[in-house]
Amino acid sequence: MARRRTKNLGTNIAAIAIAAFVALPLYWMVASSFKGQADITSSAAVPPHPTTANYGNAFSNYNFGTYLMNSAIVAVATTAIVLALGTFAGYALARLPMRGKTAIMTALLMISLFPTIAVVAPLYLLLRDIGWLNSYQGLVLSYTALMLPFAIWILRNFFLGIPKAMEESARVDGAGPVRTVLQVILPQALPGLFTAGVFTFVAAWTEFIIALTLNNSDRYRTVAVGIALFGGQYTTPYGTIFAASAVAMLPIAILVLVFRRAVVSGLTAGAVKG
Amino acid sequence: MTLVDARGPRETRAAGGDSRRPRRGGLRRSSARLGWTFASPALLVVAAVMIFPIVFSIIMSFSNVNVTGNGFQLSGVTGKNYSILFGSPRYWHDLEFTATYTVVTVTIEMVLGTLVALVLERLTVARGWLMALLLLPWALITVVSAQLWAYVYNGVYGVFDAIMNSVGVHNLNVLGTPMQASVAMGVADVWKTTPFVAIMVLAGLVMLPGEVVEAARIDGANAWTVFWRVRLPLLRPALAVAVMFRILQAFGLFDLPYVLTNGGPGTSTESLAVLGYKVLFNDLEFGPGAAVAASTALVVLVVCLLFLKVFRTQVGEQED
Amino acid sequence: MTALMSTKTNKRRITATAVTAVAVLALGTACSSSSTTATAPAATGSASGTITWFANQFGPTSTDVRKTLIAQFEKAYPNIKVNLEQAPSDSDTYRSTLITQISGGSSSFDVYNGDVVWPAQFGKQGLALPLNSYFDSSYWNSFSNGLVTSLTYNKQTYAVPLFTDNAFLFYRKDLLAKAHLPVPTTWEQLQSEAATLQKDGYVKYGFAAQFDSYEGLTCDFTEFAADAGGSAVSADGTKATIDSAADQKALTYMRGLITSGVAPSAITTFQEQQSESLFTAGQVAFLRNWTYAYADSNTTGTSKVAGDVGVANLPTFAGQTGPGYSVTGGWNLYVNPHSKNLAADVDFLKWMTGTQAQTIIAEQGGEIPTVAGVLQNSAVQATNPAFPVAAKNKLNARPSFVPQYSQVSEAIYNNVNAALSGSASPSSALSAAASQINTALQSNGL
Repeated sequence: MARRRTKNLGTNIAAIAIAAFVALPLYWMVASSFKGQADITSSAAVPPHPTTANYGNAFSNYNFGTYLMNSAIVAVATTAIVLALGTFAGYALARLPMRGKTAIMTALLMISLFPTIAVVAPLYLLLRDIGWLNSYQGLVLSYTALMLPFAIWILRNFFLGIPKAMEESARVDGAGPVRTVLQVILPQALPGLFTAGVFTFVAAWTEFIIALTLNNSDRYRTVAVGIALFGGQYTTPYGTIFAASAVAMLPIAILVLVFRRAVVSGLTAGAVKG
Repeated sequence: MTLVDARGPRETRAAGGDSRRPRRGGLRRSSARLGWTFASPALLVVAAVMIFPIVFSIIMSFSNVNVTGNGFQLSGVTGKNYSILFGSPRYWHDLEFTATYTVVTVTIEMVLGTLVALVLERLTVARGWLMALLLLPWALITVVSAQLWAYVYNGVYGVFDAIMNSVGVHNLNVLGTPMQASVAMGVADVWKTTPFVAIMVLAGLVMLPGEVVEAARIDGANAWTVFWRVRLPLLRPALAVAVMFRILQAFGLFDLPYVLTNGGPGTSTESLAVLGYKVLFNDLEFGPGAAVAASTALVVLVVCLLFLKVFRTQVGEQED
Repeated sequence: MTALMSTKTNKRRITATAVTAVAVLALGTACSSSSTTATAPAATGSASGTITWFANQFGPTSTDVRKTLIAQFEKAYPNIKVNLEQAPSDSDTYRSTLITQISGGSSSFDVYNGDVVWPAQFGKQGLALPLNSYFDSSYWNSFSNGLVTSLTYNKQTYAVPLFTDNAFLFYRKDLLAKAHLPVPTTWEQLQSEAATLQKDGYVKYGFAAQFDSYEGLTCDFTEFAADAGGSAVSADGTKATIDSAADQKALTYMRGLITSGVAPSAITTFQEQQSESLFTAGQVAFLRNWTYAYADSNTTGTSKVAGDVGVANLPTFAGQTGPGYSVTGGWNLYVNPHSKNLAADVDFLKWMTGTQAQTIIAEQGGEIPTVAGVLQNSAVQATNPAFPVAAKNKLNARPSFVPQYSQVSEAIYNNVNAALSGSASPSSALSAAASQINTALQSNGL
């Protein structure tokens, strides 16, 4: 009994330390977003004269609402497509007897390690020829291609860890391959799906260089690029930038908070199996 | 069953049955076809979008490239771009800096990330909250995260300077001193990406087969042994993917040095990606710039392949 | 067995062929790009339609002077509509997106703002339309001295000057008055006055400028070097001249400001924003900064020194004729070579460099107008105390007349910053800079 309590204490202390390390810079960012022009140079722990001017500034002086919507559309679409395509590809590469799996996995790795800055100009030409510049599809297509390799690697790993017995029994029950994947395998690989999904969403939400190049017009601009436009040549308006970022972080924060039970149970469901 | 079973989870389970027994030919053939059907859409998308830019970049690195208002003009096949690179002390310095930075930050993040994952796994109360909190730095736009840290380390009004002054350390110039700037960058990096590693490791941890761990505990192993000798080896595939992709990302480090220091002081914190960007888009030298990119990709590829070999994580489970 | 093999290999072959086909197609398209604009298209007839102006923000952030300009332009030219496309505020980020789009043949914008150091590079690479044939010589004579040369490369002019920017010495008049010190006219005098003010406890630091490893340092260093009689690149653009006694004197002086404590050691990380913040927080006595700093440091509510700020020409070194040199900054207007509405573009450019627009830019935007007549207008001068000082400035351009200016500038600021941080001695930094500049001028290196 005492041993358990000490173990829990150690864990809890560690958890608090982690939370502090993560939260302090975040607190500083949010706190600074409430600092007016005059206070931006203050290093007081709490802003001396808090104001919401920066938040208003982000939405009125810049089209921040539009940027948020664009980022949301692109990120959600990318995540959905990546998970759909990646699940089946990952399953195939984990379970099904294809030739050249090593080659494929290595090729995927090689593709994802090529620096984005070199890829951006030819990518622009490619999308110009398709006619998908300044659009949602262009960005979604680019991001999907960019993020699939990583998603496939993760998902394949998770599928490898699922007992073959599951598929055997599904086949015995007469389930077709697609149904096997969707109804039997997928629920078991939820942690992998969650991991791949979160990373894809965040990557699409925060990507900068490709969004800057492909979607140049204000109508299709994403949040990451939008924030880079704040300010003039000699001024970096930290207050407005932090306000905009706090707002940009909010959807993800809410999503994860709302779904945290599902996420946690999804992650721990795997541990229960014997 | 031995206490220490370093084989992957799938192999452990397969110990009972013979997974290598060949199935009937027809079933294999249709399974393989099914595999291609499942995998093709994803592979086609990746190939169709990425192959052209990558191939084009590699070709550019071997040509004389002139970027004009009328497009890219490539002429000739030459090794000049690479000889410029390899003859430039700046390139070698940046390569060394990027490599060192990668090794240090990835190691720290892997260790910290694993510790965080262990804590998360054991937490009963508030696990969901902590996980949500952990995702926030990861969800910050990289450029903004870099600006946040630039604001923190600012030589005039940064809060870091204020804190140091209050404990009696004055006249700091963190971002203006080579070593300190690198460390400051490292701290910002670790802060932002340790959650990534933690989540990957946590997901791997919960997928571990319960019975192996139970068996170890019953055999009397203490928590440390259980972790180090039983769970860690089983985690290898998950860790390997995390390390590999972290290496990839760290080698391509761009936003942080660009925003925080612009590669300064001098060029002491200039990463290969920043160099590539400057050569490409400031100097309009697309030949050497493509060479920087291609050589970076090659280095990372070699490192990853070596890493995979060293960790003996099989890339392909079955070779037919 | 053969059937088994052929099915799988067939599938793989199809995929491989598809992929190669896409690649070859795209490659072919990329290599043979769009139009071949060899001769300048004519801009005849009346201009009408819609054009897009790709511009970053300039002037005070509270009032968008670009929108005022557009509104007035559309009044003067009712047949032309102007769309404003917001551009990144960072010059290099902005350039990267311009290059990708223009080289890709984009006509999604017609005219664009561009940095004053771009004409040679953009002219050489055909990223801006040459403008000689659209304006007669009297048009070019209306601009202040020296501006038109900076727009020219290989006898072609690639831009029109939208507004220019100068550097000034900003000082705390209240402190100088309290300490009974005059406004310094030499750098040596500035250093000793600053040290005095610090010693007597009036102010924490004596001098601030922009010494971070970026383009702004090239500006500052060019000024100090010119004051000492030095330069970075020879006038014919073939070799580096930075490794000289004069340049070394300038760099040693700059380093001396830091080692003597007159300038904060963190100055090697200062861009405009940090140097300005230090000044408006009342912690530094002298500041080298651009025109905007006058209005900015006198804004009550955000500046602690509002009303105590004086502006003067920069000092020079003892023994040289004053005043000190100021580098020319500012922004130009360029035309996208793929623009489809040249007649409208030309009208827009003409109007933006006309008296009405330049007066708006000066009065509302707080930027120095490029048209000499407007800058000398007493009503305009009255709106900003920096303007009469600007009229007396001695101007010096950065060596942007070479197309490899970007590499030259990098060689300058990387090495100067290293010397200022103490990682290199002034002489070794300058010789490293010289060899890197030479490599760049011969197009031989990174």
